[in-house]
Parts: sequence; C-alpha cells; structure tokens
Amino acid sequence: MGSLKRVEPGPQAPANLPRATRSSGASPAPRGAPIIEVRDLVKVYGGGNGRRKQEEVRAVDGVSFTVHEGEFFGFLGPNGAGKSTIIKVIATLLGGTSGAVRVAGMDVATQGPAIRRIIGYTGQSVGVDGELTGRENLTLIGHLYHMPTDLIESRVEELLGVLELREAADRQANTYSGGMRRRLDLGAGLVHHPRILFLDEPTTGLDPHTRNGVWDYLRKLHRDERMTIFLTTQYLEEADRLCDRLAIIDRGKLVAEGSPAALKAGIGADVVTIRLPRDEGFEANRARALQVVQKVRGVRKATAFDEGVSVHAEDGGAALLEVMRLLDAERVPVQQVAVARPTLDEVFLQHTGRAMRVEEVKPMSSAGFGQRRR
Amino acid sequence: MVAEVGYGRERVRHVEQGTATQGGRLSEVRWVAWRSLKKLTRNPILLFFSLFMPLIWLVLFSQTFGNVFSGAARAQLPYDYVAVLLPGIAVMTAIQSAAQSGFGMVADIETGFMDKFFVAPIRRSSVLIGKLVADGLRMAGQAGIILLIAYAMTLLAGWRIPFATGLPGALVIMALAAAFGVAFSGLSNAVALKTKNTEATMMVSFTLTFPLLFMSTAMLPKPSLPQWVRDFSVINPVSYVADAARALVLTGWEWSAIGSAFAACIVFGALLNGWAVLAFRAQGK
Ligand SMILES: Nc1ncnc2c1ncn2[C@@H]1O[C@H](COP(=O)(O)OP(=O)(O)O)[C@@H](O)[C@H]1O
Ligand SMILES: [Mg+2]
Repeated sequence: MGSLKRVEPGPQAPANLPRATRSSGASPAPRGAPIIEVRDLVKVYGGGNGRRKQEEVRAVDGVSFTVHEGEFFGFLGPNGAGKSTIIKVIATLLGGTSGAVRVAGMDVATQGPAIRRIIGYTGQSVGVDGELTGRENLTLIGHLYHMPTDLIESRVEELLGVLELREAADRQANTYSGGMRRRLDLGAGLVHHPRILFLDEPTTGLDPHTRNGVWDYLRKLHRDERMTIFLTTQYLEEADRLCDRLAIIDRGKLVAEGSPAALKAGIGADVVTIRLPRDEGFEANRARALQVVQKVRGVRKATAFDEGVSVHAEDGGAALLEVMRLLDAERVPVQQVAVARPTLDEVFLQHTGRAMRVEEVKPMSSAGFGQRRR
Repeated sequence: MVAEVGYGRERVRHVEQGTATQGGRLSEVRWVAWRSLKKLTRNPILLFFSLFMPLIWLVLFSQTFGNVFSGAARAQLPYDYVAVLLPGIAVMTAIQSAAQSGFGMVADIETGFMDKFFVAPIRRSSVLIGKLVADGLRMAGQAGIILLIAYAMTLLAGWRIPFATGLPGALVIMALAAAFGVAFSGLSNAVALKTKNTEATMMVSFTLTFPLLFMSTAMLPKPSLPQWVRDFSVINPVSYVADAARALVLTGWEWSAIGSAFAACIVFGALLNGWAVLAFRAQGK
C-alpha cells in the first residue's frame, strides 16, 4: 500500500495543462457516496495441495480503492496486470483470497444475489450466444433478471435502437461483425438498467470508428442516466478521454490514482524521451545517458526505463538541444528522441519504470470463469 | 431493500407490479431451458443427424442380426428382431445425446456466456437444472420420433413390432429415455466442467457409452448374452431401462421392471449429477 500515490490536482498544477475535456462537459460532478469499496484485496490463483498442487499466481496483491456513485472510473494497466480479476471479484463472479469488497454497502462475500440485481457486467470475451438472434440474446437477459415481459420488450427495442442493431436484430449473432457483437454484449449488460456498469476492456480489438461509437454511447449513459461506470482498459487514450478518475495498475498493485489531468499534472513538466539502440552497450550507454542528462539545466527528474531514458524538464525543447549536445560529446549513441507534453504514457512509465504496451491476448479458456460467491 | 431494487426509470412501476427481484426458480429454469431448446432449432442439420444415426442403426442392426432368430424360431415368434432392438436403440439415442451434453457447457465457459448466467440474480443450480430439462425434452422427443418411425414401418414395410402397450407405453418409453439420458448427462457435464475441453469430454463419454450399451440387455435379450456380460448387466443401469422398455413393446405392463428402471435412473442420476453439481460449484476456485 505504501507505494500508492494519490495525485490530486493542486495549485501547483501548471495552468497550461488543460483538464481533459470530456463531452460530458462541465466541471467534475460532485462526488456521490462511495458505491464500490475495495480494501486490501488479494487474489491468489492456483495453489491447492498434494497431487493437485499448481503454481501460485498472485494476480492481485493488496489493492484498495473507492469508487463513488455516478463516477466514470477506470483501471488502466497492461495485459496480466490483474484488471479482469479485480473486476470479476467486485462483480461477484470470483471469490477473493482475502480483503473486503463492498458494493452499494453490501458485502460481495455474503450478499452476492442482492448485488447482482443492481450491477451490469460485460466481460472481456464477448459473451453473446451466436446461435440466438440479437433480440433473443437481450430478451433472455431480461428474463434472467425477472423483468416483466412487456418491460423487456420495450427495453430491448430501445437498446437495439441506440446500439444500432435494429436492422440485424432478428439475425443470429454469429453473423454479426466484431463491432456488432461487442455492442450487443454491451447491451446485454444494460437490459435491467443497472446502477453500476462493469466493462472489461470494452473496445479491445475494435476498429477506431466503432471504438468512437462505443465511447460516445458510454459517455451518454454516464451523462444522461448518471450510471456509475467501472471500465478497464489497456488504451491510454480511452482512459484519458472517458474517465473521471483512474487507477493505474501493474503486476497486481495500484501504482497511481487520480483524474487523468491530475496524473499528468503530477509530472509537472515536458517529457523528453531518449531511446537508445538495443545492442550490447545498451546498459552502459543508458547509465551514462542518465548521468549526462542530470547536468542539463531545467531537468527535474530523469528515469531509466526499458528502452532508454525519460527526462522531465520545464522547457522540453531547450532541454532536448542541450541533452543531444552532451550525449554527442560523450559519444552515447541515440536511436530516437521525442519531446511531448506529458501523457498517461509518461505517467505509467514514471510509476512502473516500463513503457505501456498494448497486447491483445485471447483470454485462457478457463480464465473467464469464476467461482461465484454466495 | 426496495430502494436498491429495480430498473432505472421503470423502477417504481416494476416494484409495484410485485414481480420485483426474487423471481421463482421455475421461471429461471424455464428461461435457461428455453435458450438450450432455441439453440437446438438453430442447428437443423445437427438435429436431423442426431435422429438419422439411430435410424441407420435400427435398419443395419435389424438387417445384420435379423437371422438371430432363425427359421423355426422366427415362425413361432409373433415379432421380428427389430422389435427386440427398438427399445435398445431408443436408449442408445438418449445415451448419445447425454454424452454430448457437456459440450455446450464447455462452449459457454469458453465464450464467456456462462458469466452472463452467473452475474444474473438467478440461482446457480437453475443453470444446471434448466440445461437438464432441455436435454430431457430433447431425449424424449428423439425416442418418440424413433418409435413413430418404427410404427410407420410396421404399417408400410411389414415390420412385426407388437407395441403391446400402445401409445401410453410409448409415452413411458419416452419418459424412460429422458430419465436415463438426464442421469447420464451428469457424467458428460462433470467431465466437461473438470476438463473444460470438448475432446476430453467426448473421449470419456464415448469410451464409457459403448461398453455400457453392449454389456447390457439393450441389444439382445438376457438369455442370448454370454455369462460374464449377463453378470455385469445386473449392475448396469442400461439393462434395467432396456428391459422395461422392451417389455412395454413386446409383452405389456411390467410394473416391477418399470419401477426398477426408474429407480436405476434415480440412483445413477443422483451419483453422476451430484458429481456435476460439485464440479459446477468448484469452478474457478
Ligand atoms: N483462472 C486463472 N488461473 C490462473 N491464473 C490466472 C487465472 N486468471 C488470470 N490469471 C493470472 O492472473 C494474472 C492477472 O490476470 P488478469 O486479471 O486477467 O489480468 P488483466 O485483465 O489485467 O490482463 C495474470 O498473470 C494471469 O495469468
Ligand atoms: Mg483482462
């Protein structure tokens, strides 16, 4: 827990860093009551004893955070960070190993059924039934939530409309494109008007156009229905554009938390990224580069990462010139340089010492399936 | 709780209608079963072949083993070998459907659809029961169609099948096929949940299916079996079901046989489905 940095926008935040403007517009909504409370959550997979002993995987390693009613909250982290595991524990699909998780004041360990009535969950793998039509998929979900038939009909019709699936509504879902299946899956999480919507990587694998469509719809849900949305993503842009507040997660631990603007403001400077050639001399060159850049005027901080050195400087352009001159004099080979306003990329790098990479990996067949707590 | 109940704008109306949140188990089971049956109708080819195969068996077996009753015996008996075989084929069809029961389970886990069931406010057991109800209906339907075709053959092709108990007997055979099939589905589902692998499920189920069928009285009546098979057939539930069904076709209402058959299904079904329930509960621990 000690390493978690909570970044709040402070007076020292430079005025030239705009708060991420979302189409939901206005200033951050006043915080509602806590609706998801996670305390010291640990999840260890595997283990067991004797003949069945498997290697243990500590997928979630002491995670605590709170989400407030009406918030658009995001988990940003690379593949394998533990995002799906955490979201499944909160959505009552998987039991945690230790720690406490409460949803709307109810304990996931003992009040699963009551929690399930107020949440919607759309998993990482698109869980639609390809042999049913789009309409049948949604209708079935309505019945699983014990909604009255007439209400299901009108709600399904409404969702088919907003998700632009009306034309295809009576076709089997296995004739749908990837984007249509995603949208249908999203709809399945919404049939019963949940108070909290969980979305596990809702746009992974989508083309940019479809992704934008999903984003618009999620923003609308959040704005118009004041739905609390909890989303996980590997995409910095998605986290940046959608979320009121983010937690960055890496290797089962939260490494930073705050609004996208505050996280970026926390860096408080331009970022100069120096990538070095990955040859035998890489380690030595990086060590020398790190020493050299510290001498440059205006440099606040320099960090080594797996591809080179990242430098935070008040004036990125000026620093870059100086850095290049010094590196040249020291004969440190440089492969690429870049100056940027800080993005979540730098935030991730700063907190983990690694660059964030998106990997699209199909989930293990068994990984999508969890022990439901009762 | 009322404040937390319901569905957005319709929340109030929903609660007023008194249908609110705690739905009955019957409705849960019904919708899970509805989905399985719906899927079945989306696979007409599969459906066709799941019936076609037993019919091929029926024809091939009756042709190949037709002379089990040789000349003299044949003249004495009021029925053909196919009448002896028919109940066995009905049982066999059920067992084959049962062997495949777990496939859908594996597919639902792989696609993530199972999570849709698990995140909904329904009882976990309803998912299993609903699936078994759909399986049972399908198996009863399959048995019914086989009987119907056999009956048509008595009219059209001169097959000699007495149908001693008529339509009520046919309904009981359908019920037996369903009960037996549902019992046996437990095995397939348990293996599917344990391995999460379609091939493994298929291997285990089929490897057990054929010995169970042939080491029973399903294909031949007891007196025609070798002694060791006869001994084994005493503990083989397939025999009880086949004997009861055969009596219904050949001779008449043998209540003790029918009772034993259902009892065998219950014992056998409780064991296998109990295993499936445990496997279902232990998912993802
Ligand atoms: N069912 C499982 N059994 C064993 N290990 C698992 C299982 N599910 C996930 N893991 C492991 O837990 C870690 C976190 O996984 P996951 O929560 O899926 O991460 P993310 O969603 O961030 O990609 C990974 O190392 C993954 O391999
Ligand atoms: Mg994941």
